[in-house]
Amino acid sequence: MESQAQSSTNTPMLKIDNLHKSFGKLAVLNGVNLEVEQSQVLVIIGPSGSGKSTLLRCVNHLEAPTDGEIYLEGQLINDKNKNHQAFEKHINHVRCKMGMVFQQFNLFPHMTVLENVMEAPVHVLKKEKSIARDIARSLLDKVGLLEKTEAYPLMLSGGQQQRVAIARALAMEPNVMLFDEVTSALDPELVGDVLRVMEDLARDGMTMLVVTHEMGFAEKVGDRVIFMADGVVVEDAPPKEMFSNPKEIRTKQFLAEILQ
Amino acid sequence: MLDWNIIIHYFPFLLKGALLTLQIAILSLVLGLAFGLGAALCKLTRNPFLRWPAIFYVWLVRSTPLLVQLFIIYFGFPQMGIDLGPFWSGVLGLALNVGAYNAETIRGGIVSVPAGQTEGARSLGMSGALTMRRIILPQALRIIIPPLGNNFIILIKDTSLVSTITLVELTLTAQRFIGSTYKPFEMYLMAAALYAVMTSTASLLLSWLEKRTRNEAR
Ligand SMILES: Nc1ncnc2c1ncn2[C@@H]1O[C@H](COP(=O)(O)OP(=O)(O)O)[C@@H](O)[C@H]1O
Ligand SMILES: [Mg+2]
Repeated sequence: MESQAQSSTNTPMLKIDNLHKSFGKLAVLNGVNLEVEQSQVLVIIGPSGSGKSTLLRCVNHLEAPTDGEIYLEGQLINDKNKNHQAFEKHINHVRCKMGMVFQQFNLFPHMTVLENVMEAPVHVLKKEKSIARDIARSLLDKVGLLEKTEAYPLMLSGGQQQRVAIARALAMEPNVMLFDEVTSALDPELVGDVLRVMEDLARDGMTMLVVTHEMGFAEKVGDRVIFMADGVVVEDAPPKEMFSNPKEIRTKQFLAEILQ
Repeated sequence: MLDWNIIIHYFPFLLKGALLTLQIAILSLVLGLAFGLGAALCKLTRNPFLRWPAIFYVWLVRSTPLLVQLFIIYFGFPQMGIDLGPFWSGVLGLALNVGAYNAETIRGGIVSVPAGQTEGARSLGMSGALTMRRIILPQALRIIIPPLGNNFIILIKDTSLVSTITLVELTLTAQRFIGSTYKPFEMYLMAAALYAVMTSTASLLLSWLEKRTRNEAR
């Protein structure tokens, strides 16, 4: 029975164990523990400065954790036993399996939309250009931007840019997607298109960690919501419970504030 | 008044000197770009064995006169058993000199590309080197080209200093004919005109290049 519990089908997609992160003297994450199952959509809410972005950035090692472990499908991400070169190789490999979408899009302005989406598949995964192009076109079709393939990012609206960024991340065929307030920089009327793409993605079974203030999205698409404050997970519950009947006083205060 | 006969007679000789000047300038430009890019990348790494020599190199060049640098290479190095001869001493001296200024220009261009570009690339599994080559440098280039072009124009003018280490380029050619003609005004005017043609042509080429990179990258 014990060995069965460890078999790969029961390994969570992502496991975070006692994660700490400090910037100098400023302790931002103070022991985060989290498991995310395959195909689960985890929504992360919390006040500004509570460490939500830092958590996501630690997961794909844009920030190096100060302490604790992060596992992707049972494989340790922040492996301190590797030397610098081996670790670089390892982390690039890990990042190929994790897509990240940023608040500010971070598209490459010197490349067309199509080139943005093809860049990593061609130069990292060494895919044939013709194959990468077909994949890129079908992903751009999926996010509703097939007619924009030859445009440059700065010619697009924020919402369109963000959907290109999602397509770019998906082109690596990741197992997990990380979204960090991806609609916060958008004009309100453009938010819906981006959320719809994310909803489709969730329906297709993508494992997702989503930092957002869109409570409607959290309720409709999220399987679980966690509330973070001061670098720890304060409450962890299904969306309905979290929003209608929060247990912790800090969660209640936060929800009361953002829901007016 | 100007002696036009002297000008017409000696112009071809000065043109020949100008060709050597051009050759020296282009070789120094190419080498200086390599030195500049190398030093800029070294200055940006965390590795102290790369960083500190690069910092020292840039500091040394920028805090001493080019003329003294040329003398050290041409007159000083042979004492250590390194005799490059006038041509390569001149090219190396100019390249090391412009390289240090290029390093600062290139470094400035690289750090002015927003950090989000690196993060976007790294999050896709791109290595540091690939990110630099495919994402950062192409964007930095647009910022770098105008000041880099300026460095190059200064370099063309600075080549006249290698006349002091017996390289018979444009300036020294002019100087040599003064002894036999006693016409310094004509000789130096011709030299000045030829320098102006070279720097202005370079300037035009650069603004064309600038426009092209701007259109390409929007
Ligand atoms: N690179 C950094 N250097 C120093 N402090 C940082 C850095 N990144 C984030 N912080 C600090 O960490 C805290 C948490 O930030 P963040 O994770 O962005 O919070 P959230 O995304 O929940 O708003 C903030 O106080 C922020 O100023
Ligand atoms: Mg944030």
